Formats: sequence, structure tokens, C-alpha cells
Amino acid sequence: MMKRNIRRISAFAAIGLAASLAATAAPAQAAVVTIKLVMASYTDAMTPYYTDLITRFEAANPGIKVELDVVAWPEIGQKVKTLIASGQSPDIVNNDEFAGEAADGLLYKASEIVSPSTLADIIPAFMTNSEYNGVAYAVPDLASARAFFYNKKILAGAGVKKPPATWAELTAAAKAIKKKYPNVYPLGLPLGVEEAQAEFTVWGGGNGARLYDTKKKKYTINTKAYLDSLLFLKSLVDQKLTQPNPGKTNRTDGAWTLFAKGKVAMVDGGVFLPDWLSKNGGKAIKWGAAPFPHAPGKSDVTLGVQDYFKGYKANGRVVEIRKFLDFLFIADNYQGFLKAAGGFIPATKSAGVKAAKDPIIGPYVALLPKAIFYPGTLGSWAACKSAIITHMGTAMLNPQRSLTAIQKKCDAANRK
Amino acid sequence: MSTQTYKKGSSWAALPWLGPALILIFGFVLWPMVELFLMSFRKVSVSGLIKGWAGLDNYRALLDNSDLAGTLKRTLIWLVVIVFFTMAISLPLAQLMNAKFRGQKFLRYSIIVPWAASLVITATSSKWILDPYYGILNTILIDLRIIKEPIDLLGDPKSAFICLLVVGILVSLPFTSYVLLAGLQSIPQDILEAAKVDGAGHWKGYWAIIFPLLRPAFLVGAVINAVYVFNSFPIIWVMTTGGPGYETDTTTTFAYKIAFRDQDIGQSASLAVGNFLIILVFIMLFLKLSKWKELDQQ
Repeated sequence: MMKRNIRRISAFAAIGLAASLAATAAPAQAAVVTIKLVMASYTDAMTPYYTDLITRFEAANPGIKVELDVVAWPEIGQKVKTLIASGQSPDIVNNDEFAGEAADGLLYKASEIVSPSTLADIIPAFMTNSEYNGVAYAVPDLASARAFFYNKKILAGAGVKKPPATWAELTAAAKAIKKKYPNVYPLGLPLGVEEAQAEFTVWGGGNGARLYDTKKKKYTINTKAYLDSLLFLKSLVDQKLTQPNPGKTNRTDGAWTLFAKGKVAMVDGGVFLPDWLSKNGGKAIKWGAAPFPHAPGKSDVTLGVQDYFKGYKANGRVVEIRKFLDFLFIADNYQGFLKAAGGFIPATKSAGVKAAKDPIIGPYVALLPKAIFYPGTLGSWAACKSAIITHMGTAMLNPQRSLTAIQKKCDAANRK
Repeated sequence: MSTQTYKKGSSWAALPWLGPALILIFGFVLWPMVELFLMSFRKVSVSGLIKGWAGLDNYRALLDNSDLAGTLKRTLIWLVVIVFFTMAISLPLAQLMNAKFRGQKFLRYSIIVPWAASLVITATSSKWILDPYYGILNTILIDLRIIKEPIDLLGDPKSAFICLLVVGILVSLPFTSYVLLAGLQSIPQDILEAAKVDGAGHWKGYWAIIFPLLRPAFLVGAVINAVYVFNSFPIIWVMTTGGPGYETDTTTTFAYKIAFRDQDIGQSASLAVGNFLIILVFIMLFLKLSKWKELDQQ
């Protein structure tokens, strides 16, 4: 009796298995093409913006369906990597890296994913930053520049007449602030993992240091110029002129949050900081924005950062990708994109003309000629960046040790 | 029903019953392990593409990593300190839980309830307690005028690691003390009474009678704890992400950082292989110990 039962049950199991196989083998509908988007979440307004854009795009392009995934900045790089590695490549991605993927041959050329007229409207300097081995593989979506933000009330209260322009003036101003307001940290220094590479680049840049030597094709991290800039920052930390834990402090939830509460008097801020302040409890702060303090005998720089749209080859959807991106770059749709992203510098000439007149963004458009950029066109930059990010955590304890370690890791990435 | 029916039936008939377990073992245990080993010998590009074989390059890169030595040292400290203190605190704790007194039930619950909370929650609350600007610890210390300015215990490498150790010990206590409690309850009452009649005091009775009988439970508790502590990821990741820098990383978080921050999947896989081999040693030890336990009981 038991035997019969066993047979019957195994027969059922076999039928069940066959049925489930049959279900998965059902032919897919061929008429509609789906493209997958993985987009960076600049602000919470991105999802509503894309949802509306996609609705209108799908209405205008029957036969194309768009799948949307808006991902937070800290996760997006890893998410895209996981999708690619597991054979589920997206079709369009918007984030801050492209060179590694271009080197791996994953990307369409920029000229393939947007029309010539769209391409011609992109600001040329940004296009140059999108090239790998002389060919553009990404279309810039927007850019940002940094400025040195200060709390007008605190500086005036401490008798600091104008925002510090040099390192010496910065130290003096910080000491004056500390004396007058013992509960305020004069300088917010976010060397935590969120964006330590920005602090490293901009403070070193003000001392003439650059991350990469294009002639020698070598990273130039372990240099006297970077060491001196780190030693200068360390002197501020040691005199308790910064918040107590620079190596752990992130930009947004650390330094900017303290700035919004009036607990930090001066901080590195992006063009998007005013927008962020107004939404995160810092509306009452009377801020000013000035060029970064620089080392004696050097000139001030700003850090330019640009992000990208990229089209992926894996699914062969180049026609649909191009249709979508051209749709996004239609003037009104692109203005909506900039508005949702919150106060960045536009990547197109047509939108740039409008932005130059904007009271908040205008000054940054003017600053762009002084901008230094990350060597984002190198396939090794992603790995080198992460070495900087992690080692900045202990750079205020032992600057030389951090620089040695970063140089070693960046060189190793460069050799690959 | 005779035994003959079993002999006649083909062994394939057992497949529907064994199938799920076999699929689980091959699909979720063996296959990922094989992949891990293969990955450690592969060249993987930054965007996650496999670009052929790398030979021993990944292992070489790992040995050349300037933060490996410190991480290994910390992993050893992490393991030894947490297991030692957990066992040392759990012994008297289990004794207390085993004693009959009013509130014994309350004590047992208050030790087992934290175990039910996820490690991420425990770690997150510890992180907020220690927060320099909003944390309750700094607020109390400043209100009591013990310190003037807030201190960030997780911002300094040394104090951060000590904080992690303390939390690591706290979350290991429930499991260990319950294993020891089970061990205590299996000790026959008459042995203890006999010892008392023979004139053994509390202290001597404990070390001469109870502790030797508790040995199997003690060893099993220590080994399981060691495996668990060695693999522990959430506490460190949530509280410090192994930072500042690499100063509070153990091999587990270090492997994660190499893979997802430094974007070097191959090197990370080679470290994970090392981790796996160490765990294997612990498991062998555990199997051996459970055999001793069986022998003891015979």
C-alpha cells in the first residue's frame, strides 16, 4: 500500500514539475519593447518627475514601455554593478561614473544615444569630461560647483569683516569665532565616507595639488602639496576649530546639518546647498558663498562635478534609448529635470543661458572656468576614489600614512 | 507492510522527498562556495565583468594590501576578547538564572528578550546612544558636568573599537548563558547533595563538581559563539562601517569594503576564501567537541 502511495505522489510531483516548466516556456509578447532605467535620486522630487515624463513619453511612443528605478546615491553604483554582473543590464543609467564601463565595452557612444542636435547643445567642456580614449561614451546630465559657505551672522558677530580668502585668514577667523561663540564649530570638515574625495580635492587644489598627471599618466596623490594641505587641516582639527570627529562626519547628515542648525560657521557647500538648507530646517540661516581659501601664493579653485546619462549595449535597445533621451532633453522636459534635481548647473548651452541669470546658480556658472574636475575619464578613477574616501577617515591622525596608502591603491588600479 | 516493499522500490522514488533538501544544499550551499573559490582566481573588471583567469594575482594583491595586517590583528582581538568575556560573564549569569528566587522568571525573560531584537536594531540604538550631538550618553555626561564638550567615542579608532567590543559581548550573552543554563539543569541534583554531605563548600563544590560537569556545554557554547562572533557583520557595519578608515574592520567587513568600495571583487573573494577556511577549522572543532559530548554521556 505504501508503495502505491509513493508512486502516486511521485507522479503528482512529476506532473507539477512539468506544468511549471510549461508555464515558464510560454512565448513572450513581442510587440512592446521595454527599456529599463536606473536613475540617481538627487532629491525626493525625482520619482514624481520621471513618472510624469514616462507617462507622456509612453503616450507619444506606443510600443515602448519604460521601467523606472530611482536609487539613492550611496547604493546606485553597487546596484548597477550587480545588475550587470547578474545579466540583467539596465538600458539607461544616470549616475556619476562611466569610464570603467566604457573600458569594458558596455556602453553605446554618446553620438548613438542622442540626436546630433541634442549633442550639439551640450556644453563642450562637459563633453570632454565624458570621453574615454578620445570618444564620448556618456551624455552629461548636469554639473555642480563648490563654494565656501559661511554663516553671515556668526562671522559678523565674531568681528570677521569678510570671508577668509587664504589659509592664514581662515585660521584667524576660526579662532575669532571660537572665542566669541564657544558652542559653534568654526569649520565643518566632512572627511566621512559620503564625499571625502571632494574635500581632499578642493583643499589640495587650493594648494596647487592635482589628482592626476595627464602627461606622465600617473596619480599624483602622495605629494608635498597634498601633505601640506592635510597638515593645515590637521592643525585646525588639533586646535579644536572643527567639529570633533572629521574622519567620521558625512557631508549631508553631518557638516551641513550642523550648518543648518547654526552650529557650524563655515563649510564646503555645493551649488545645491541653498536648496537643501531650505528643505532641511536651515531656512533661517543667513548664508554667504565665497571662493575657497587657498594656500599662500596659490590661487583659489572650485571643484566641478558632473554626472552622466549612459546607454547600455546589453539589450540592444539603442533606438528606444535614443528616443527617450532626446525626449528628456526637450527644453521643457530638461528644465523639469533640473528643477527636480534641485539647483544644479545645467549641461546644455540653451539652459545655461537661462541659469546664468539665476541669482543663486548664476555665480557658479561664472566660477566654472576656475573648476578642477576629478579624473573621471579614467577607468581606474572609481577604485582610486574609494581609496581616498576610506583613508580620509584617518587622515587627521596621520596624514602621511593615509597619502602613502592612497597612492599605492590608486597606482595598483591604474596598472590594471 | 513488510520490509520487502522498500527493497523492491527504486531509490528514485525517494527523490520527491529528498529533492528540496538536495536543491537547497547544492543550490544555496555548495554552488555559491564553488563560485566563491572560482571568483578568487578570476580577473573581474570594475564594472563587474569577468575577464578571464587571474592565477594567484588576487591573493597577491590581498597580501600586499596595507590594511590586511591590522585587520587580522583586530579580528583576533575581536574573537578572543568577545568570546572570553562572554563566557566569563555567562557562567555566573547562568548560575543566577538557575537559582530559585522571586523574580527568577523576570531575570530569564530580561535576558532572552534582547536576543529577539535584531542585531541591526541593537547596533543602531547603540550608535545613537553614543552620538556626539544628539546621543543620550553625551547629554548625561555634560549635564552631570563630567565632560565639557561632547565626545565622539565612535569617531576615534581606539574608543570606537572598544565600544564595538562591548556591544559584541552584550549581544552574545543571551545565547551563551542559555546554553550554560541548559547544561546546569542537566546536572543531577543528587550529585550536588552528595557533595554537600561530603562537606564541600559552595566554592569548592562549584569548581570540583559543577564546572567539570558543565564542561561539554561550556565548550560547545564557546565554539558556536566563536563562529558567530567571527562572522559578525551587522554590529560593526551599522555602528562604524569599519571606520574611521579601516581602523575597526574585521576580515568580514574588510572583505565587503574591498568588494563594494574598492570595487575589487577578485581580491575580496580571496579574503572570503581565507575566512571560509578559518570557519571550517571552527566547525571541525565543533564536530569533534560534540563527539566528546556523546562519549561523555555514554
